This record gives sequence, C-alpha cells and structure tokens, in this order.
Amino acid sequence: MTPVTEPPLGEIDDEGERRALERSWRRRPGIAGWFTVTTHQALGKRYIVTAFVFLLIGGVEALFMRLQLARPDNPLIGPDKYNQLFTTHGTTMMFLFAVPMMEGMGVYLVPLMLGTRNVAFPRLNAFGYWMFLFGGIFLYAGFLTNTGPDAGWFAYTPLSGPQFSPGKRVDIWAQMITFTEISALCVATELIATILKMRAPGMSLTRIPMFCWSMLVQSFMVVFAMPAVMVASNIFLLLDRTVGTHFSNAAEGGDPLLYQHVFWFFGHPEVYIIFIPALGMVSSIVETHTRRAIFGYPAMVLSLVSTGFIGFGLWVHHMFATGLPQIGEAYFTAASMMIAVASGVQIFCWIATMWSGRVHMRTPMYFVLGFVFIFVLGGLTGVMLAAIPLDLQVHDTFFVVAHFHYVLIGGALFPLFGAFYHWFPKFTGRMMNDALGKINFWILFVGFNLTFFPMHILGLKGMTRRIYTYPAEMGWGPANALATVGACIILIGGIVFIANALASRVHGEIAGPDPWDGGTLEWAADSPPRNYNFVNLPVATSRYPMWTPPEERVVVTGVRHDRREALVTTLMDAEPPIWPFITALLLGLGLVGATFRFSWYYPAFGATGIGLIGWFWPRRPEGVRS
Amino acid sequence: MIRRRTLDVSGLPDIDVSSQEPIWWGQICLCCIEGAMFCILIACYFYFRLSLDMWPPPGTQLPHVAIPTVTLILAIVSCLGSYRASEGAKKNERGAMLRGLLLNLALGCAFLILRGYAWYTLNFNWASDVHGSTVWTILGLHTMDATADLLFTAVLIVALIFGRTGRSMRLAVHVDSVVWYFLVLIWIPLYIVIYWAPRFVGAPA
Repeated sequence: MTPVTEPPLGEIDDEGERRALERSWRRRPGIAGWFTVTTHQALGKRYIVTAFVFLLIGGVEALFMRLQLARPDNPLIGPDKYNQLFTTHGTTMMFLFAVPMMEGMGVYLVPLMLGTRNVAFPRLNAFGYWMFLFGGIFLYAGFLTNTGPDAGWFAYTPLSGPQFSPGKRVDIWAQMITFTEISALCVATELIATILKMRAPGMSLTRIPMFCWSMLVQSFMVVFAMPAVMVASNIFLLLDRTVGTHFSNAAEGGDPLLYQHVFWFFGHPEVYIIFIPALGMVSSIVETHTRRAIFGYPAMVLSLVSTGFIGFGLWVHHMFATGLPQIGEAYFTAASMMIAVASGVQIFCWIATMWSGRVHMRTPMYFVLGFVFIFVLGGLTGVMLAAIPLDLQVHDTFFVVAHFHYVLIGGALFPLFGAFYHWFPKFTGRMMNDALGKINFWILFVGFNLTFFPMHILGLKGMTRRIYTYPAEMGWGPANALATVGACIILIGGIVFIANALASRVHGEIAGPDPWDGGTLEWAADSPPRNYNFVNLPVATSRYPMWTPPEERVVVTGVRHDRREALVTTLMDAEPPIWPFITALLLGLGLVGATFRFSWYYPAFGATGIGLIGWFWPRRPEGVRS
Repeated sequence: MIRRRTLDVSGLPDIDVSSQEPIWWGQICLCCIEGAMFCILIACYFYFRLSLDMWPPPGTQLPHVAIPTVTLILAIVSCLGSYRASEGAKKNERGAMLRGLLLNLALGCAFLILRGYAWYTLNFNWASDVHGSTVWTILGLHTMDATADLLFTAVLIVALIFGRTGRSMRLAVHVDSVVWYFLVLIWIPLYIVIYWAPRFVGAPA
C-alpha cells in the first residue's frame, strides 16, 4: 500500500543526523542523570524493573501464606501477621505490580510502536514514576514496622473504619492508594495524548497497532475509574479516620455500603485496566509469531472498546451478598455475562489468526497458548459466579480466590511473561534462551494449576478466604498441601525466569533490530533503542509498516535534531529537569505526613505548588539554543 | 548520504497555540479526571440523601443561596477574562493576555473570598453529620482546584510582566483558560446540588 501522493526521493545525511540527535538526547551523566532522566525507554524500564521487584515481594508473601495453610492447625504465622500478609499481598499485586507493570510496558513500547521520539509529557512521566516508587516504599515501611494494613486489599468499612481498626495501619493503605493512583493517572494522561496526537504520519485509526489500541482503552478506563478509588480511599476512609467525617458512620447518616459501591466502581474496571493491555500484548505476539496480519482487526478493536465500556457496568457483582434489590442484581448478572461475548470474540480471532498463519512455536507463543487455556477456565468460573445463587453459595470462599487468580495470573501474568520473552531483545539487544524459556513455561504452567485448581474444590467444600488456619476435621488438609507444593513449583519457575533473564542479558544471542520479523514500528528502531528512537521518524505506509517492501517505505525529514523535538508536538525541554523528582518528593512527604496529621496537607500542597512553578517556569526564549 | 522516499516537515511551526497541541489534550484528560470525581461525589450526595428522611438533618440550617449565587455570577463573568487572554495568546497580543488574566485573577479571587464568607456562616461542619461531610468535601475540593488554578494564573501574569511572550508561554495562557472554564462549568451543577437540591428534594417543612 502506498500513500495517495507519492513522496519524493530525498537525500538524507544519515550520519550527521545521528550525531546531532545523540548530542540533543544525551542523558546527564552520573547521579544527576539518574534523577533527571525523562526518556521513555529509561522510565519504562524503571517501571518494569520496580514492578517486577514488587511482584517478587508479593510472591514471597503468598508463599508464606501457603506455608501457613499447608497443614491444619499450623502455628507458623499468627493471625495478626497473616492479616497483614494477605492485605499487603493483594495490595502489592494490584497497585504496585500489575498496574505499574502494564503502564511501564506502555510507556516503553507505545512511542516506539507509534514511531515517535518520546511520550507527550516526559516530565509528567518522570513524576509518575517517582510517585509510584515512593508509594511502594511507604507501604513497605509500614509493613516492616509492624504497621502493615490488615483489613484486606479492599479495606471494607466498617472493619477498616476508626472504630474497628485503630492505629495507622489502614491509613497507610489508604494513602498508598493515593500515590499509585497519581502515578497511574499521569501515565494514562500522557499515553492518551501520545496515542491521539503523536502517531507517525499515515497512521490512521485503522493502522494503530493492537497494543496501542489496548493502552488507549486502558488509559481511558484509568481516567474514569481511578477518581472513584480516590473518593473511596482518600475521601471516605482517610477523612473518616483522620478528621472525623461521617461517610461510613451509620449513626450520623453515613453508609458503609456506599464505600463498597464506590470502591468497586473503581475495582472492577481495575481488573480490565490490568487485563486489557495483556490482550494487546497477546495480539502483538500472535501476529508476529504467526507472520500474519491479525484476523478481524475491526472486531478486535471493537471488542476492546466494548470491554472498556461494559467493564464499568459490572461492579455490583462483587456485592451480590449485600442484599441489594433484585432488579439491580439481575441487570448486573446480565452485564457480567455479556462481557464474556467481547472476550470470546478476541479468543476466536486469535485462534483464526493462528489457524490461517504459520505458527512459529517460540517461548512467547507457549505463554500465549497457556494464557488461552487458563483464561478460558477463569472466564468459565466467572460466568458461574455471575449467577447469583451460585455466587451466594461460594461468596468469600476459596472458589473466588481460585477464580480471580485464574483470571489475573492467566489473563495478565502469562501474557506478560510472553511479552518479556517477545520484547526482551528490544529492551536489551539480546535474545532470551528459548529452551530455558519453554522449561520456564512448563514449570509455571504446572505449578500454577497445581496451586489454584484445588482451591476451586476447597471453596466448594466451604473453606472461606482469609482464615489463617483450620482444624483437621474439616478435611481440607490434602488439597491445601497440594496447593502449597504448587506454590513452591511457581517459585522455581520464577527463579528459572530470573536466571534466564540475567544470563541472557550478558550472554544471549545478539538480536539485531528485528529478530522476529515483526510488522510494527518498534522493530524499526535499534535494539536497545537510542534515546531518540529513530534517526528519521518513519511514515506508516500500512498497518504493518515493517512488512512493506523497503523501497516503498517513507521517512520524515525536517524534524529538528539540534534539540529534543518530536512531530506534531511541543518541544521537549532540552535540559533534563530535576523538578519532577523534587515535586514528587515534596508531595510524597506531605501525603505521608497527612496519614498522621491532616494539617500536613497544607504545607504539602504549598510546597507542591512551588515545585510545579519551578517545573513550568519558562526558561528561555524560543528558537534560541542555550 | 542515503536516498529514501521522504516527507519533509521542516516547514511546520515549533508550537501551535491551539487544540492541536498534546498539552491541550492532556489538560482535557485532567478535566475528565476531576469531572469524574465530582460526578461521583454528586451521586454520593443523593445516595445519602435518599437513605435519610430529613435532609439536611435536624439542627442544620439550609445553606443560604444569596451570596453563593453572587459568587456563581462572578465566576461566570471571570470566564470573559480567560477568554480574552486565550484569544490574545492565539493572536500574540501581550496586552490582551495581561488584561484578560488580571480580570480572571481579580474576579476569581473575589469569588473565593465571597465563598469563604458564605462558608464561614454555615452552622455545620464536616464532623456534624453526613450532610456536613459531603458538602464540606465538595466545597473543599473545588476550592483547592480553584486556588491552584488562580495561583497558576498569577504565575503566568508574573512571567508575562517579565516579558515572556514566546509560543510556549502563550500556549500556557491558552491552556490555563481551559482549566478555568472547566472549574466554572463544573461549579454550576455542584452549586445546584449544594444550595438548591435540599430545597427541592424533600426539604423539611
């Protein structure tokens, strides 16, 4: 496919451009460079590595819980520590691993796939990363000083309210949400602006790569869902606890149930915020490893978008056991079943793509197939849980625990591992070991099913979640022991993955820009990409520009190389700035202080205002190079 | 030197003071975020309202409407200042930008001071009951947003006085006006909810 008007042949001073770009996009050396970096590759990598560290921490917490539950009447961990463990595990996995990991992949890959130089707001990107990091440190500072939150990862009132949870534990949880939420909103905003306004010339809506579509839908969901958790955690919960408002106090007209409504109005879309980018990753992997354009692109995009919309109409199915009016429950049952249609369309499209393409069975495809298998199982129990009679029976049991681990690990973690193997050559310039990758897949797949499948049965037998032990007469011992064995196998799988990644980083086969013969633009950049991504910005001549014959490809000229500039965008500041870091630090200190005294908000907002003024102060007249 | 098919964009301007700029879109996203939050708070207000027989609860006065109505008019008029400033920014007229921003700042500050006075005369606070908690939270959050934007407006005025009139400066003036429109626009339903809803929806005799 060629553009309507044939672009002329032009002379390009390739080497000169490259030298000038290297100079403009150079990082500051040393410590200062570490705190002032604003390139999307560096920040994306930081997001990914930091979130991975939190995955490991959350995984170790899960392992401790499994060890505690391995046999009846186990004295290993007491009830109080166990409460902190499951709360911190859930909080870490949702807020410090899954969302930031998806955001990190988006920050790294979206500008490359769109053929531009950076995200729309590089400094906001840096600010978001620092907020995320400080929030994680804050939570674990609490956990390590025996002040870890202990009211569950959704902190239902009245249990989490001032009356039943004195002390600072729940305050730390509520304020940690603020940190991670600011971070997610920053990334969502910059990705929306990037995807809407900074695509390569020629990249019409029908040519946007599937992963970018998924990040766009996910970002819009973040924009409209995250304010709800701000209302729930930061306004209802934290204000009730610190200054004595009455949002959840039934004695003064408040209503604890409203907290659940508002929390799940965020919490259910949150599942899709995690899951939708994973769908985009699966599409990217499938089309690359089958060497075929994705089957049913419009249907895929439409089902992503409709998942985004329907995702907001499901929240009450978390609350079927609260005694809501039947008409409402019926509506939410129907909506919960409807979302299976949108997911089903995508599964069928992937199967059709694989069927009609030439599947290359490398490690990423193994993880994709594992994802399809596990996610379909999780989806089936999801349809079961959407039926109110069954939901009432198994509510708050291990059946639900099994269901959401099948959906989240199957639906997000397996695609994510596939994505690591798929884009590792882009991140580091080297291939990951394929044989070890397949071993890694099988260990994780077996370990996962061994851990979580028995939980379905445990739930049906009546084992409720969040209990720290159980008597032997219940007969839950063998299945629990099996699940603990599975958890240890998952640990081995994790170790194999880390070993593979670390070894491949140093000794892996050199990848080159395009090791998989991929079709989208990230494969046009060097591996790892230079700070400016492309010497000449590419033009998207088709949906798969890299599958266009080289002589028909077009590049952009005339974008300035003497300072940081991208197309259809503002100038990116030439000076890597320290202000995002300072602003995040000041706001972070204020938010931490406010969990102890509300009045910390005043100096915090004042200081943040000063930070922002420093951030936005116009530094030099335009057109003059400093 | 290599020869390739090229698309030359060197003729495009560095910055366009218009909705073409990503920062304008980013600002719209932030308005959506704030707007979503206020919509949820409105929903919560009526959720609480519907679960109680008396609203506001006994002993709580109905919030007076006179001064808040004047402040609403002030806020709407202050948008004229923002509009002038952003038109000045598009046409690169420093005088129009300065006058527009000053009008915006002056009326905005008057708006906040009068609101503060009306707020001070309420006979309930955030800890009185759930009605007080909700009304104080809505007022507090909107005041925080408005204060932040007026602070930003003041900074822009200072920068303009110091002679910064480059394209990125003008873009900032343009985007600042977008935020102020949003804050005034969202205040209209919030004003109706706080001051008129208790009078219309099952007011106590």
